Amino acid sequence: MEKDGSLLDEYVLSLLKASRPRVCFLPTASGDADHYVVRFYRRFSPSCEASHLSLFRRDQGTGGVEEDFATHLFSQDLIYVGGGNVVSMLGAWRAHGLDEILRKAWRKGVVLCGPSAGSLCWFAEALSAFHGAPRPVQGLGLLPYSNCVHYDAEPARRAEYHRFVGDGMRAGYAVEDGVALHFRSTRLAAAVSSRPDGCAYRVKPAGDSVIETPVNVTYLGADSIERPPTASTGAASQPQAGNAAADGEPQAIAAEANGPEPVAASVAA
Amino acid sequence: MNSPPGADISSRLIFAMGGGGFTMEPTNPLLDDFVLGLSHAKEPRVVFLPTAAGDTTAQINAFQARFADRLCVPEHLSLFRLQETKRPLEEVVLGADIIYAGGGSMRNLLAIWRAHGLDRLLLEAWQAGTVLAGLSAGAMCWFQAGVSRSSGPPEPLAGLGLLEGSLTVHADGEPERLPVWLAAVRDGTLPGGWALDDGVGLLFRGRALERIVSSRPGAGAQRVDAIAGELVRERLQPELLGDAEQGALGGIDEAVEELRRVHRLRRGIAGGRG
Repeated sequence: MEKDGSLLDEYVLSLLKASRPRVCFLPTASGDADHYVVRFYRRFSPSCEASHLSLFRRDQGTGGVEEDFATHLFSQDLIYVGGGNVVSMLGAWRAHGLDEILRKAWRKGVVLCGPSAGSLCWFAEALSAFHGAPRPVQGLGLLPYSNCVHYDAEPARRAEYHRFVGDGMRAGYAVEDGVALHFRSTRLAAAVSSRPDGCAYRVKPAGDSVIETPVNVTYLGADSIERPPTASTGAASQPQAGNAAADGEPQAIAAEANGPEPVAASVAA
Repeated sequence: MNSPPGADISSRLIFAMGGGGFTMEPTNPLLDDFVLGLSHAKEPRVVFLPTAAGDTTAQINAFQARFADRLCVPEHLSLFRLQETKRPLEEVVLGADIIYAGGGSMRNLLAIWRAHGLDRLLLEAWQAGTVLAGLSAGAMCWFQAGVSRSSGPPEPLAGLGLLEGSLTVHADGEPERLPVWLAAVRDGTLPGGWALDDGVGLLFRGRALERIVSSRPGAGAQRVDAIAGELVRERLQPELLGDAEQGALGGIDEAVEELRRVHRLRRGIAGGRG
């Protein structure tokens, strides 16, 4: 749903078995921004049973889902978490018990995905550089790694992530804009990109230093004929609905759990 | 709570509105002007926190529409779009003369403030003499508890506890809160407190209620306590704000009028309500 992110959306939809999958959007990280919700429906309602869950409009009857959150989320094929501020989002989720519900949904086999804040949240630790100096944030911990997104967005980001991992943040994944990591249970199954040059890296401490290893990334547009490999053209072809908080954050991760597997698993580095 | 050295408890002000101000009364500036008058700063720095509504542009625009041409420096702090705020949170909050919290979801408001450490900063600001103001969720949050519809049906919810007692809002506009609050006060779930109609505000100096003001004729307030399992309700008559109101700091003199004109010019605002 992000700029030039339709290939990533197609990829995550391809993981679902249902012919018309049930997809629920959580726009919490944007403060349930209306234009983001509209963009979601525009993108997903043609091919999916789309719904959204708002934590801000529950008193006005315009909060999307009216039934019990858990029942609704457990019945989804895909839960799509929007971008924005990860700290605000996690705070609001915990206040409504959504952190536990999402954990259970994942164990039940619901696919979880999202860009930016919607990626960071699934990891044990994340580097949030949304405001001021970057700082570590504790995520839901479904994936026992750390995560850093927008790795190519700022020149200082790489050095910052290396410094944090060197100082005790757990090993994890750094991901450039347009690239998604696909986890099956807690194991990385694939890394895919909507951009020909998108990269992702495994970053881990080694003695006094930090080792960065490139992850194999598959370009999803390789077979598309009509798609020029320039980000600007790709972005222009996407529906834009105002300045979403997540605009300019075309970072996605797909976290997939197949069946009721336990969360803890060996880490494939 | 501990008083930091030098901070006088009588300089701590909180203004809690049951509803009203720029988001609910776009054509009635009485409560917002009253809020501005609570600061001794000539040109108070007013920081609006739209957190409870998810930082909607509607609230932010209404805030700017109300305060942009008034004698103040209006600024909003969005915890969902922090990239728009260049300065550290500490600096924004502790540098404010007035903090104005908007309405919305009280549960989300408190959770998000806590996630960013804003609860501690607001306490510190209050102790240092920053005026805290707000309506609805942004009013109940300062008390021990309020009645929130954050999850749909009204339910008691703990606040930050800067002020003693409980508060329920929109007593006239959303009457379904009131019975929930009364039942909770009666059975001791909530401490006694105040029920406010839309347009009514309570001004606390330290932890003591100092004034009850209103922007609308007919709007009221009540104090309710449970004594030996029975509710004791006292109707309170607010002072109606209006032309006779001189503001907390008295009348406006020529120098201030002049400053206002300069202020408007500097902001490039042609008209404005003043």
